[in-house]
Amino acid sequence: MSTAAAEQALGRTDAEGIAARARGLTKAYGSGETTVLALDSVDVDIARGRFTAVMGPSGSGKSTLMHCLAGLDTVSAGQVWLGDTEITGLKERELTQLRRDRIGFMFQSFNLIPTLNAAENITLPMDIAGQKPDEKWLNQVIDNLGLRDRLGHRPAQLSGGQQQRVACARALASRPELIFADEPTGNLDSRAGLEVLGFLRDAVDELGQTVVMVTHDPGAAAHADLVLFLGDGRIVDEMARPTAEAVLERMKRFDTIRGTFDGDAAPDQGIAPDQD
Amino acid sequence: MLKATLRSFLAHKGRLLLSALAVILSVAFVAGSLIFSDTVTRTFDRLFASTSADVTVGPKDDDLDSQIPSGAIETVPTSLVDRIATVDGVARTRADVSVENVTVVDSDNESVGPTTGAPTIAGDWYVTERSPVELTSGHAPRGPGQALLDADTADKKHVDIGDTLTVIAQPGSFKVEVVGIATFKTTNPGAALVFLDPAVAETKLLGKEGVATSIQVDADQGVSDAQLKQRIATELGPGTYELETADEQAETAAAQLGGFLDVIKYVMLGFAGIAVLVGVFLIVNTFSMLIAQRTRELGLLRALGADRRQVRRSVLTEATLLGLVGSTLGLAAGIGLAIGLIELMGLLGMNLKTAEMVIGWPTPVSAYVVGVGVTFVAAYLPARRAAGVSPMAALVDAEIAGVGRPLRVRAVVGLIVGALGAAALVGCVTATETGSAASLLGLGVVLTLIATVIAGPLLVRPVIRVLGGAFPALFGSIGRMSQRNALRNPRRTGATAAALMVGLALVGGMSVASASMTKSFDEQIDKTLGADFVVQNSNFLPFPQEITEKVEATDGAGLVVRQRFTPVAVRLPDGKRVETTAAGYQPQLDEVARITYAQGNTAAALADGNIAMDATFAKDHDVRVGSTIPVEFPAGQRTELTVAALTDQDAAEGFGTQGGLFFGFGTIEKYVPGGQDSALYVNASSGTSADTLRSNLDKTLDPYPQVQVRDLADYKKLIHDQIAVLLYLVYALLGLAIVIAVLGVVNTLALSVVERTREIGLLRAIGLARRQLRRMIRLESVVIAVFGAVLGLALGLVWGVCVQQVLALQGMKALAIPWTTLVAVVVGSAVVGIVAALLPALRASRMNVLAAIAHE
Repeated sequence: MSTAAAEQALGRTDAEGIAARARGLTKAYGSGETTVLALDSVDVDIARGRFTAVMGPSGSGKSTLMHCLAGLDTVSAGQVWLGDTEITGLKERELTQLRRDRIGFMFQSFNLIPTLNAAENITLPMDIAGQKPDEKWLNQVIDNLGLRDRLGHRPAQLSGGQQQRVACARALASRPELIFADEPTGNLDSRAGLEVLGFLRDAVDELGQTVVMVTHDPGAAAHADLVLFLGDGRIVDEMARPTAEAVLERMKRFDTIRGTFDGDAAPDQGIAPDQD
Repeated sequence: MLKATLRSFLAHKGRLLLSALAVILSVAFVAGSLIFSDTVTRTFDRLFASTSADVTVGPKDDDLDSQIPSGAIETVPTSLVDRIATVDGVARTRADVSVENVTVVDSDNESVGPTTGAPTIAGDWYVTERSPVELTSGHAPRGPGQALLDADTADKKHVDIGDTLTVIAQPGSFKVEVVGIATFKTTNPGAALVFLDPAVAETKLLGKEGVATSIQVDADQGVSDAQLKQRIATELGPGTYELETADEQAETAAAQLGGFLDVIKYVMLGFAGIAVLVGVFLIVNTFSMLIAQRTRELGLLRALGADRRQVRRSVLTEATLLGLVGSTLGLAAGIGLAIGLIELMGLLGMNLKTAEMVIGWPTPVSAYVVGVGVTFVAAYLPARRAAGVSPMAALVDAEIAGVGRPLRVRAVVGLIVGALGAAALVGCVTATETGSAASLLGLGVVLTLIATVIAGPLLVRPVIRVLGGAFPALFGSIGRMSQRNALRNPRRTGATAAALMVGLALVGGMSVASASMTKSFDEQIDKTLGADFVVQNSNFLPFPQEITEKVEATDGAGLVVRQRFTPVAVRLPDGKRVETTAAGYQPQLDEVARITYAQGNTAAALADGNIAMDATFAKDHDVRVGSTIPVEFPAGQRTELTVAALTDQDAAEGFGTQGGLFFGFGTIEKYVPGGQDSALYVNASSGTSADTLRSNLDKTLDPYPQVQVRDLADYKKLIHDQIAVLLYLVYALLGLAIVIAVLGVVNTLALSVVERTREIGLLRAIGLARRQLRRMIRLESVVIAVFGAVLGLALGLVWGVCVQQVLALQGMKALAIPWTTLVAVVVGSAVVGIVAALLPALRASRMNVLAAIAHE
């Protein structure tokens, strides 16, 4: 990661060790005069083996960025690569396979299939692909997340924190190239939230995974190696080795730049869960 | 509140559409059948009223109606014409000859008569302003060798003036040249008409002179039909002849035709009934699901101050609206259905005019009563549940209502009703009298059906665990999820499957019953039929003497035993009067049939003055060997016969021959003069092979297309075909039930897909392909459909076995379970599941992944 070049090309990093990359990524909604640019020619590199947080006020395009990088959403212009694969221009079926085999997902809520028990949820992407999970890896993940005695439980029988741990285990289980976590702590109390963040941190440090997390909780962002700040569809800043205070400080500058924050994304509410 | 209701109605119109379809279907069948039968009745009332004489004098009605006629033609003497002419107020009198049981064949020995079962009528050509036909080409028949043919028949069978036809009448067959074509001025009821010179009609058609089939009388001006009838009755004396005014005649004629029309009417009402029954499940299910989805909205209404009654009323108003819309569309569809039926009748030769379609006031009234009533009743329970939604539901993120509610009440009620039903069925199986067994059977069928519907949701878990047990192994996690999705809301799965279950239970029961009947008849035929060949009409109708003579004279025919049927009424020692059909046989019966006797033997049974009957029937009515019983024959003939033998046969009482009565040929010839044979049992003479005899008989009977030669196998097939007609009707009913059941499954799946939007979004996000998603929904649909089929067939199997037990009381003791049919139905239901899943699966797979994830 070259912080020296940060001012010119925020979010860009060295060519080797890049898990995902976007160039000129633009996402527009609507057409003609009413066009809204959710992402405005974004260039970004996600470093392999790192924990990257994406922050920004509501409407800054951070979720859209994640969706485009993860092959969930189509782009209006620009290119996106996962590893060496350009995913812009892939067909729907290929994108589905790519998500299944190479990306892990954690969402804010409704992460698990209610009819399947924890173990079945964890191995679901591999089951869908018709692949046998790597038992050794799977056991390590399950033990790391402390889910050993919860495997037979259905989601309804698990607490919110346990559910997110199962989601985390599912994201890790297939040893994907990239894990996307969209507000993974948004619906949790602070203790459970910390636990989940700890697991994501461990996934990077101990299991060598790559994690991208969208959040607007500065405390959550502080667990990352690098925080990318999005505003009005552009990457406006980045912060390495962040602390909660520094992130909060940086978020407040959005306030001063733009005068006001829209909606519930004001930095002083940053810890509150977001409905976004 | 009304505004909110209307809004909600319109907002959910897509979902209500499927319920509306069920309403439309049932209303359409009700309205269609009413319009059709009204139209037919009106048309024929007009036809008969305009073509009947003011007063018709016919042979005395003997009140003995039977499906199997004796073949004797009842007549009145033509001398009555002169007597009646003297009555004051009579303008014109004439003797009319008109016989129905003739066969007319062309030069290729093909019958020119209708193939629909409508009669071929031969009569005298006598033109009045009331004739239903007029001469349109050629000239009136003169002398014994000429005839007129009706235009429709001539057209259909390509008969032209100058062609030669053979008329096979009771006295004998004769050739005629077609010299003219008569065209219907009124509606053609589908019959074929042949007219002869009046001077020869009596001898040719009735076989003797001085008789007619009726005397037609027209009144002077100013004399009413009823007055004239009264005067003629006084002249002729009471109780000797049957007198009918034009109106009464029209009524009788319409009633005779009515039998056929009633069949159509009841079939249509059967369809309507099935549509209503299955539709109710669909409507209940739809409303339950709509309410479950709107729990929060209803809670909000309650929180804002709407009371329970208002909420309930709101739902019921919605149902009424649905009923009104459905009834209106159903009425329109019913008119279309009636037009279709009228056109269909046209193809069968009955030319009704769609322009004269009758829509009486009862039609729309019944349409709306059925449509609105059914919807209202079906929506009542869901409406009550809606009213029970607490205001808190608006505030909490409520799970779908009804999922978690315990099924204890259902279990208890289902168990009680089921136990009662089972008791009734056990009672039916152990009953010894047909009457009580049949009513117990009916009760048991209804109760077990209700119990299964109530307890259906309880059976969902255990049954689907088994049915879908192999899914995870076969289809991996997709199979696992689809199986568990089906288990997710047992009430919904149960209600959805119930619609299919009802139809398939009926099919299961009927197919077991009919297979058992077929097997019983087969065994019976194997056991009793000893003749090499049977010559008879495929409708069991009698045929002229001429055929018997030809068969007897056929080269290689050894023994020929003649059989005749006649309607009879017997007064039994227990005081009951039983109307049935009895048979008369020639003495060598033992040579062509193997009859098991409980008492007596064939010789005794067929001796003069004797009668034989089924032993069980005899026991039921306190008849013993030696009892003397009074027997009434047609045309007022009466005698007393001594019971000389009791038979002990399976299926002695088939097809309207209750009691299995039979006696000697002499008895039937004596009391039913002019009767015709209805079957000939033929054995080959010694030295002649069966094959040779068969080809000889076929040659002999070539000019007589109304009868066929059958050996044992052919005879069985004839019986099978008769039973198959019943089955086809059942299969048609099943078809309708399946259509509606499919709508129900579509409905349930569509709602499930909407409810699981987020889940589907998640699955798609983590890599479930569209194809896999569609398969998941298909498998869920299949498991629901097969669940319904298995439940239905299990129930139907029980019913079928019970029906067979009732039939066993009638001697049909064989039980056959048509496993191939049952397996085919299960496989078919899986196909039904796949079809029903098409649209919901497509919809699910088209869902935008991001929108689905964000969906609330």
